Amino acid sequence: MMKPLDLQKADTTPAWCPGCGNFPILKAFTGALAESGLDPDKTVLVSGIGQAAKIPHYVTPPCNIFNGLHGRALPAATGIKCANHELEVIVTSGDGDMYGEGGNHFIHAIRRNIGIKVFVHNNQVYGLTKGQASPTSDEGYVTRIQTHGVVSMPFNPLALAIVEGCSLVARTFAGDPAHLKATLLEALRHKDGFALVDILQPCVSFNKVNTYAWYKERVRPVTPEHDPYDRMQALALAFQWGDAIPIGIIFRSRRPCFESRQPVLGQGTLVVRLSEGAPRKAATGNRN
Amino acid sequence: MGGTTDLLIRMAGEAGQGVETAGNTLLGALSNTGVHVLSTQSYMSRIRGGLNWHDIRISERECFAGREQADLLVSFTDTAGEILSGSLAPGGVHLHNGSTPGSAEIVSLDAEKLATDLTGSTLAANSVMAGAVFALIGCPADGLCDYLDKTFGPKGREIADANIKCARAGHAYILQAGLQERLHAPVPSAAIVGQIWSGAAAVGLGAATAGVKFVAAYPMSPSTATFAWLAEQADRYGILVEQAEDEIAAINMVCGATYAGVPAIATTSGGGFALMAEGVSLAGMMELPAVVVIAQRPGPATGMPTRTAQQDLQFALRAGHGEFPRAIYAPGTVAQGYALMRTALQTAHRYQTPVLLLTDQFLQDMQKLVPAFAATDAPIDRCLAQDAGADYQRYRIPANGGVSPRAIPGGKARVVVDSDEHDVAGHLSEDTRDRVSQQDKRMAKFSAMQAEAIPPAYYGPADAKLLLICWGSSYGPVREAVDAVNAAGRSAAMLHAAQIWPLALDAWKPLLCGRSRICCVEGNQTGQFAALLREAGLLAQAETLLRYDGMPFTGAEIVERIGP
Repeated sequence: MMKPLDLQKADTTPAWCPGCGNFPILKAFTGALAESGLDPDKTVLVSGIGQAAKIPHYVTPPCNIFNGLHGRALPAATGIKCANHELEVIVTSGDGDMYGEGGNHFIHAIRRNIGIKVFVHNNQVYGLTKGQASPTSDEGYVTRIQTHGVVSMPFNPLALAIVEGCSLVARTFAGDPAHLKATLLEALRHKDGFALVDILQPCVSFNKVNTYAWYKERVRPVTPEHDPYDRMQALALAFQWGDAIPIGIIFRSRRPCFESRQPVLGQGTLVVRLSEGAPRKAATGNRN
Repeated sequence: MGGTTDLLIRMAGEAGQGVETAGNTLLGALSNTGVHVLSTQSYMSRIRGGLNWHDIRISERECFAGREQADLLVSFTDTAGEILSGSLAPGGVHLHNGSTPGSAEIVSLDAEKLATDLTGSTLAANSVMAGAVFALIGCPADGLCDYLDKTFGPKGREIADANIKCARAGHAYILQAGLQERLHAPVPSAAIVGQIWSGAAAVGLGAATAGVKFVAAYPMSPSTATFAWLAEQADRYGILVEQAEDEIAAINMVCGATYAGVPAIATTSGGGFALMAEGVSLAGMMELPAVVVIAQRPGPATGMPTRTAQQDLQFALRAGHGEFPRAIYAPGTVAQGYALMRTALQTAHRYQTPVLLLTDQFLQDMQKLVPAFAATDAPIDRCLAQDAGADYQRYRIPANGGVSPRAIPGGKARVVVDSDEHDVAGHLSEDTRDRVSQQDKRMAKFSAMQAEAIPPAYYGPADAKLLLICWGSSYGPVREAVDAVNAAGRSAAMLHAAQIWPLALDAWKPLLCGRSRICCVEGNQTGQFAALLREAGLLAQAETLLRYDGMPFTGAEIVERIGP
């Protein structure tokens, strides 16, 4: 039999291109995690598939990891949070994984306002499958598949999240390390409910339009006067794209989180109650 | 049937008329009278109109399936009467609820009018009909009234009294017409006691007592009854029930919850399970104890949403890409629904792999008097590694078999799971040695799962020449067919599979020897279980007796189709 190839040697980490926007995001994420004081024992990093979804494997100090199916990070994270709501559950994802394949879950996880933090590395292109349009690609963007340019309207994740009353909606930029780390930290410190951070991330291999330079010319931190609790003001910011792209905390709401509205979780986490054993009084005959 | 009294009461009307409720009132009242009770339902996929019926069978001996012919037809509409009067057995009685005058063939009773005259509202009309039915089968009204008192008492004295008054009036109406005891109720026995449970609820109770604390589903007939029962009981058992946005979300939520250490299930039907296939494969790869209840209905596609079928055996067996071990159970009775749900959860946790439970509309909606389930049944063992430390590796290769110690997040151990192929620590790996050792490890669980597979249940004389093989909910009709064949002086036996996969090969082999005729009875068109038995090398050739019109088998039908 043929000697097995030692592919381990070739499997270097990380699996990203030199100059990839994921590197500064990994650095900021690691820094923000440390600064936030989160206990890695009680932290679960959940991801789907894509280059952003590999981040959990590279984070130090290591946390618990659930690296699931393409597009399905949110329902898996929801199941984990329901089972043990004392765990800090953080989702790392890309625009294809979260806004394309996982779009339906994105709509409904925000509606639940379940307490998970979602960081979307949005590079407006599919990287791992090598350069097709993503749900956030601009109209007219030409690829080897969209040969006459993208005809669909780009998905606006911020506007959708605001419309659904998401408890924290933010945008940041991989090319501004200080803003990036501060925004991630703000999200990590957010209590009660769903936190979305859309991270503008250049793809140096496949997106020759939305480059570091392109974003740098356009990103504008929101002014201190912006009231994130003002939904219409926040929506106006969410619709700004093109010459000026706002970054920062765009929207906040005071909706109670999903966990606080489950009477069954008022008595402790499901996983702890389970180890206490003994079922309650059994049901009697029931006709259904 | 050997001189025993066995009556079938068919309540029929339009959707939205309360046929199911009327049937349940009768069922509840009869369940206290010392006779065996079983009910089945036939309904259309609509909210109003159409034709639905609820069959209630009462007998001196235990029954396991419905019958085609009714002894008493209670029609709530003219259409129901017209369509179903042909299904009346010779000597049967047709009681019509309505204002049309009675005839030689039809006993007419306007329950709404009678209830309104007595109580000022039609709310207790069902009790009028129940009283009339009690009189027609020769049962005193007292038993019914006790039941109504118990059921409606908690809702208020006035409501209970109104129902009792109406029940007595319905009873008296039949007596005055001189129609009492047109049919003879079975002779009660003090030994026959129990509770009425549906298959759907029994499966739910199995999950709740096994320690399931998280349930995710997207509503889909006929699985919804289990989902609804669990939601109704959620506070009592401390279960979080979440209606997912789709079935893909449901299975991935279940994967997440089981990863975090909580026994969890999803309930669905064939179409929803099709969407779950990738998630089942994920549970296979991550080695998570995900359990899915698949309540079958006829396909392909939307098929017949409220009808029954046994068409998803091969689908359940193959669903999910790649190769990974799984177990599939298929309860044959209401009581087995409870027991096998618990077994399914235990198997999933012992072997850290997905397990499927196949029911169908027939069994989900079947209600039966069963002995009370043991209140002392303990939750399953989650088989967790309690002492995992910082050096923990989720997929360490064990010395024997394929089961690695399973820790859950929250402690010192880092629990890393990946849908990509991974190394022993759970990190994604493209190393071919990791690939082979992890794939081998997962598949190594199969032989242990096979060694503890449930053997097929044999029913009938040991030397029977005719062997009827069946699985899942066909248990009832086949068992009744076997009884009828043997009562007629011929010899037949049943071999029932409650576990579809893995098959307990050594237990199957000797039972298939020495038969002159073997026939697989299945609710599908292609003989899916027969094909599996052939593939497993257990059967070279088998006759099949199949039904795929959306209706369940009956014992009499099987006897007729077997031929002389």
